Amino acid sequence: MANIATYEKGSTQLLMGNEAIARGALEAGIGFATAYPGNPSSEIIGSLAEVAKDAGIYVEWSINEKVALEAAAAAAFAGVRSIVAMKHNGLNVVLDYLMGLALTGTRAGIVLVTCDDPGALSSTEEEDSRMVAKWACLPLLEPGTFQEEKDMTRWAYELSEELKSVVLIRGVTRTSHARGDVEVGERIPPLRQAKFEPSNPLEFTSMPAPFKHLVANQKMDKARDLFESSPFNWYQGPDKPDLLIVTSGSGWFYSLEAVKALDLEKSVGILKLGTTWPLPEKLVRQHLSKAEEVLVVEEIDPFLEGNLKELVGEDPSAVGPVKFYGKRSGHIPIAGEINPDIVTAALARILDIEHRPVQPQYSQKALALTAQFTHGRMVGFCAGCPHRATFWSIKNAIKLDGRGGFVSGDIGCYSMAVGPAGYWQIKTMQAMGSGTGMACGFGRLAEFGLTQSVIAVCGDSTFYHATIPAIISGIYNRANFTLLVLDNSATAMTGFQPHPGTGRSATGEQAPVVDIPTLCRALGVRVEETDPFDLAGTTDKLLDLMREEGGVRVLVVKRECALVRARREKPAYQMRIDEERCLGESCGCSRTCSRVFQCPALMWDAQRGVAAIDDVLCAGCGVCADICPAGAIIRETA
Amino acid sequence: MSPEIKGSLQLRADVIDRGLCALCGACSGICPFLVAYRGRIVALDDCAVEQGRCYAFCPRVATDLDAASDAAFGAPFDPSPIGRTTEVLITRAAREEVRSKAQYGGTVSALVAFAIERGFIDSAVLTQSDASLLPAGVLVRSAGDVLCRARSNYVAAPTLAAFNREARREEVRRIGVVATPCQALALAKMRAWSTRDRRDWKVSATAYRDVEKLSLVVGLFCTWALDFEGFTRFLAGKTPLDRISKFDIPPPPASVFQAFSDSTSVSIPLDEVRRFIRPSCNVCLDMTAEFADLSVGAAEGIEGWNTLIVRSERGREIIDAARAAGVIETGALPDESLSHLKGASLGKRRRALANIRQITGSDDDLLYLELGAETRGRLLAE
Repeated sequence: MANIATYEKGSTQLLMGNEAIARGALEAGIGFATAYPGNPSSEIIGSLAEVAKDAGIYVEWSINEKVALEAAAAAAFAGVRSIVAMKHNGLNVVLDYLMGLALTGTRAGIVLVTCDDPGALSSTEEEDSRMVAKWACLPLLEPGTFQEEKDMTRWAYELSEELKSVVLIRGVTRTSHARGDVEVGERIPPLRQAKFEPSNPLEFTSMPAPFKHLVANQKMDKARDLFESSPFNWYQGPDKPDLLIVTSGSGWFYSLEAVKALDLEKSVGILKLGTTWPLPEKLVRQHLSKAEEVLVVEEIDPFLEGNLKELVGEDPSAVGPVKFYGKRSGHIPIAGEINPDIVTAALARILDIEHRPVQPQYSQKALALTAQFTHGRMVGFCAGCPHRATFWSIKNAIKLDGRGGFVSGDIGCYSMAVGPAGYWQIKTMQAMGSGTGMACGFGRLAEFGLTQSVIAVCGDSTFYHATIPAIISGIYNRANFTLLVLDNSATAMTGFQPHPGTGRSATGEQAPVVDIPTLCRALGVRVEETDPFDLAGTTDKLLDLMREEGGVRVLVVKRECALVRARREKPAYQMRIDEERCLGESCGCSRTCSRVFQCPALMWDAQRGVAAIDDVLCAGCGVCADICPAGAIIRETA
Repeated sequence: MSPEIKGSLQLRADVIDRGLCALCGACSGICPFLVAYRGRIVALDDCAVEQGRCYAFCPRVATDLDAASDAAFGAPFDPSPIGRTTEVLITRAAREEVRSKAQYGGTVSALVAFAIERGFIDSAVLTQSDASLLPAGVLVRSAGDVLCRARSNYVAAPTLAAFNREARREEVRRIGVVATPCQALALAKMRAWSTRDRRDWKVSATAYRDVEKLSLVVGLFCTWALDFEGFTRFLAGKTPLDRISKFDIPPPPASVFQAFSDSTSVSIPLDEVRRFIRPSCNVCLDMTAEFADLSVGAAEGIEGWNTLIVRSERGREIIDAARAAGVIETGALPDESLSHLKGASLGKRRRALANIRQITGSDDDLLYLELGAETRGRLLAE
């Protein structure tokens, strides 16, 4: 990643949105940065971690988002500007504290960046964070350009200290991960005068709550006034547009593109808002009164749309008749990610313009052209991934056990075991730690007639994040289940960030290790450990644990993530197929390796009727040699 | 009329899921998809093969008795009460040492050990149980290894899974199997498949070669076999499983099942044990292992001896050599004993045919067996 600390003031840099946010925080002189990894937010604290030494700041990966926010708030209470970043799920995790923080206020500035994932490209939910601003009485900013990502973040600290409130910045995948030119300002070092000094006994509490709730609302009134003249809100277009687009965030670039594509610059105006809660009401009313048709372009929920309608409803005569188009009218889809094509089509439909962006049957033609060059692929585990071996053993153990056992799943790379990659083994999937939480429920259903074996899985980072309390609840309430902790020594799915099991901190220093088996044993449950590449041993151990009557049992399945290993070491084995021995489609094999085991590096040569190894994909883990019934996969030490 | 052979998905639907599985093990040990585990055949994954050995070998589906008999004996199926028979004798192991380790006369142990020693076979698949009474097939390659597996076993064992696995070994060339009636039938079907069906099978050459290693089948008389999980859980409540040295069911009028441990024994009403008989046994017509080269059982009323039925030339060869070598003592089976044996065998057939009739609803439909009408009519003839 870029060294965002060393850019010269006034230079123009090509920055990822998240990097621009991080740079903005540095320019505001933050001293404290915390997060739990989560796509699309991870690079914010990730890039700050890279430059922590150069910038003289403190950066940590906290164990979960709640602790991250709590730690960052502590710093702010003590006078150190802080930033905390998370994805929308993380916002759900911090909500209890955030509600309290919203009433408590702050001393030094604190900014909470929440990055949503429209279309759930890498999430298990599609969720709009912005509602929390209205819910918690907090100011909300949505950057629409890369320059804004930096400038807004820097300015957010002034706002935070003016209002004495945490400030929310909301991004989405495209604003966080796309790159654009940013002119950087001056980076200032953090103040080093931390002192925690309440000026009254309740200053750093949310009490008395009704009073502080009133105060929070008054802060919103103040913010509203400030937002009326914010440079982050602007209008572009004719004085009296035929149609007004009101947009925020990623919608800004999409709307610009759509208007240009349809050649409507002279008739369609765009009101781009960067301060979306509270709304700059005068500014908004001023523009709404100049148009009779309004299209609202935003990501995920009709948040902006609903607030505009609320505003109009409060004083309809102030703006005159307005017809709204957007997610509620179906012109913009209510679910999924938006893009320039969607906005263009909406505009064309509203204005009754003929618009054909692509030829008919375009997608079929494109598929026909490209099919010969590409393989159809599902989401899957990497070649060499320990999770493939683990779920192979789980699948077999459940079948052998014969009691209709099932797996309650959790969040991480292994989540993909809901699909073919993990042999469809995971059957429930909601939130961090919920695999074990649900097992606490499933594991108490014997008295209601449940005879099935209950299995839960979680990853190593998930274990620390949220699973420990669920394990304790299961122990205390005598729930009957087996938990597999899939320890691949990384927070892998989000980019291999370190955690309390890896021995490394966010800034690369040695860190104390909280050992998972030791911790589980200390809780008083039976703990076994296994290497997932030992298929027979893992299956046997799991079967043994499943057959135990009652209580919580833990199997720690430990082997390093294949990609993390590959950065450090050459492949362990060189793999090849002995074609003489290969049984292929015959009775006795039926293409076990390529059809059933399905490592992406195992191919089927239909012409010659034998298996083949894709040398480019093969990670040399050697596991496939153990699943071939003919001994035709040869494993040689590399 | 050759019954249609299908694949493993159909085997699961036609046999396993219908509760007909005899747990003989013939379908497992062949591929990664079907495995025998703790008294069940488990499908670990779906196989895509349309015609598989699992279906071809299974004695509870698509079983042409004439074809099986032709493969085992070179002759059509003989519906006599105790099947194709050239001679019936009483026999026992000549050595007291062998008899003392065995259930009745020690004939099977002595014959198999002798067959290995003389080179008739180079290995044998026997059944052995562990301390939890879980039985499994095991390959022995020396005479000495035969004797410690001498105890009678009443729990259904997937012994043929071991045959399938071990037959792949290069160093194993002529294999003997001690088989229950369903296992002997499955072995006959394996022979029928390997000598006939070479046409469209997607199977390697080694698959045929492995089945052709079968060199001797010693059958065991069997009335029924018990379900592992249910029976052992029940028995564990009566006596510690790992201390049991022997089981026995004394002849009528006693109606008990005995488990002997150290110096004690426990007697359980037979009806309580019958609850754990596997459903597949209720549709089995074969009490005396009619598809073996030699079949061996108790000699009721003649303590310390076995009843032995010679069926094939191979069986004749072995028993004659063993007698000549002084390894086996033989005698004549009293007429009364023979008619008693035939009566018992017909009794099992009668019950089985009634149960099959209840399932199929027709006298002409034998569920999993194919047999000409004329022969079928003689199944219950004395």
